Amino acid sequence: MRRREFLALVTPSVLVMGGLLVLPLYRTLEWSLERVNYGEAGTFVGLANYGAALTDPRLGQAVLFTVGLTLAVTAALLVGGYLLAVMVNGLGRSKPWVLGILLISYVIPHVVGGAMFSWLFDANFGGVVDHLVTLVTGQEVLWFTDPWPNRVIVALNTIWFMLPFAMLVIIAGLQGVPGELLEAARIDGASAVRTHWSVIIPSIRGVLGFVAIISIMDILRTFDQLVALSPQAVQLGNESIMLYIFNVAFQDGGQQLGLGSAVNVLLILLIVLMLFPFIRGIAKEARQA
Amino acid sequence: MSVVQEKATAATQAPPPPAPPRPKRRRKGSTYLVGGILVLVCWAMLSPVLWTAMTVTKPTDVAFLDPPVFFYEPTLTAFVDLWQTTLFYQYLINTLIVALLSTVAALVIGLPAAYALSRFPGWISAVLLIAALVFRALPRFSVVLPMYDISRALGIYDTTFAVAAALVAINQPFSIWLLRNFFAEIPKELDEAAMIDGCSRFGILRRVMIPLMGPGILTAGIFVFLFAFQEYLTANILTDVSARTVPVFIATQLGQTLPMLQQAGAAAMLLTLPVVAFAFIAQRYLVAGLSSGSVKG
Repeated sequence: MRRREFLALVTPSVLVMGGLLVLPLYRTLEWSLERVNYGEAGTFVGLANYGAALTDPRLGQAVLFTVGLTLAVTAALLVGGYLLAVMVNGLGRSKPWVLGILLISYVIPHVVGGAMFSWLFDANFGGVVDHLVTLVTGQEVLWFTDPWPNRVIVALNTIWFMLPFAMLVIIAGLQGVPGELLEAARIDGASAVRTHWSVIIPSIRGVLGFVAIISIMDILRTFDQLVALSPQAVQLGNESIMLYIFNVAFQDGGQQLGLGSAVNVLLILLIVLMLFPFIRGIAKEARQA
Repeated sequence: MSVVQEKATAATQAPPPPAPPRPKRRRKGSTYLVGGILVLVCWAMLSPVLWTAMTVTKPTDVAFLDPPVFFYEPTLTAFVDLWQTTLFYQYLINTLIVALLSTVAALVIGLPAAYALSRFPGWISAVLLIAALVFRALPRFSVVLPMYDISRALGIYDTTFAVAAALVAINQPFSIWLLRNFFAEIPKELDEAAMIDGCSRFGILRRVMIPLMGPGILTAGIFVFLFAFQEYLTANILTDVSARTVPVFIATQLGQTLPMLQQAGAAAMLLTLPVVAFAFIAQRYLVAGLSSGSVKG
C-alpha cells in the first residue's frame, strides 16, 4: 500500500478523533492550569489546581475507594471468570444458551443494571435479597447508608456486569491451549487441580494479564453504577475518582472545572503508565505487520 | 498484547464449530455438579432482571411490601402509566437515533482506517494504533466536559446529533481495533490478486474486503450500537430534555415516589428485553468480538 492511499483511507478517522477527542483533551489540559467557569475564559493559575487536587482529602478517599474496588473486583473477575470459563467451556449443546444467559448482564446499561441491583437490596422497596439476608443473619443491614455494606453491593454489581467479559476472553484462551499439553499432563498422572495450576494457567498467562489490565482500566472509570447504587456516596466515602470529577466540575455548580480537569490529566498519566507494556508491544508489532 | 491477540484470534476467529465432540465422557457425578453450579450462577446473574420484572408487573400497593410478595395478579399498569405520563417514547426514539447514527458513522469512518492500518506497516500505523488504545482507556470526562462547553458554544447542546457525534468519536478507537483484527485475518495475497486484476485500493476495499468482512462488520456494528445504547455519562452531560436518552431518564427517576419508581422499572424492562433478545441472537458475534481481544467496552 502506498503512503498516499494509506493517508486517504485513515484521514476521515484521524479528523474525527482529532476534532472530537484531541481538541477536547487539549481543552482539558488548558483548563487544568486555569480557574474557569463554563463558557468563560479562564485565568491562568499555573499548577495550583494540581496542588489543590493532591492535597484534597476527599480526592484521597476517592482514590482509596476506587483502588480498593479495582483490586477486589479484578481479583474476583480473574478467579470467577476462570472457574466459569472452565465450566462453560466443557459444555456441549447447551453452551450457546448458557452464554446467552450469562451475556445479559453485560448488555444492560450499567446505570440501569445498578438500579435493578438496588431494588434487590432496598428494604423500602421490598428487596428480596435484603429480606433473605435479614432472615438468615437476623440483622438489618443498611445497604445504602452504611459504608461497608454499600461497598459490598457496588463491588457485587461491578462483578455482575464485568464477569461475562472476563469469562469469554478466558474461554478464548482455554481453546488455544494445545491438546497435546493436556494429554501429556494426563499421562504423567497430574490431578485436575494440578493440571489447571501447572499447565493451563501458565499457558494462558497472557490472556489473564489482558483481562486484568482491561478490568483495571475500566474499574478505574467507575461512575454509572454509583449513581444508582450509592446516592450518598460522598458522605459514605464511596465516591469514585470519576464521581469526584463529576461532582467538583459539573455538579456542585461547575465552579471547580480547573480542579476536575487537573484530576483528569493525572488520571490520564496514570493510565498511559499502566498501558506502557502494551504500547511497547504494539509499536513492535505494527512496524513489522 | 500481540500474543494475546494472536492466541485469542487464532482460537475464535472461525466461529466455534457446532459443539466439538467431547473426547471422553466424564464421570456422571462431576457433570451433574458442574451443571448444578452453572444453573445457580445463571440464576444469580439473572436475578436482578427477574426481580425487576416481577416488581413492575405487581400492582403498586403490593410491589414494595416488606417482606416481599411472590404471588400476585400481574398487571401492566406501570407500563401504561409510563407511556401516558412521561415522554418515554420520545426518549426511546432519541436512544435509537443516537445508537443508529453513531453506529453507521463509526463504521463508515472506521472501516477504511482499519483496513489501512492492517496493511501499512510502519511508525504511522504504530502511532495511530497506540493513540487509539490510549483513547479507548481515557477517563470519559476529560473529553466530555469540554464537549459540553463546545456544544453549548456551537448551539448544538441537547441535540441527538451532538450525542451521536460524541459517541462516534468515543467508540471510534474500539471499532478501529476490532475491525483491524478482523482485517488482519484476511490474507494479503487477496489484495495482490485484485490489484493485478486492476483494482484500486478503494476498489479492493469495496469489492473484495467488505463482502469478506461481513461477520466482522456485523460484530463491530453490534458492539458500537450496544455501547451507544448503554451510554449514560455522555448522554447525561450532553443532553437536557429534548435529546434525553432512556438510561438518563431511568437515572432521573430513581429516588422519586414509588409509582414513578415502578415506572422507571418498567422503562428498564422495556429497554432490557430488546437488548436481551439481541444478545441471544447476536451471541455468536459478541463472543467473536470479545475474544478477539485488544479492546472491549
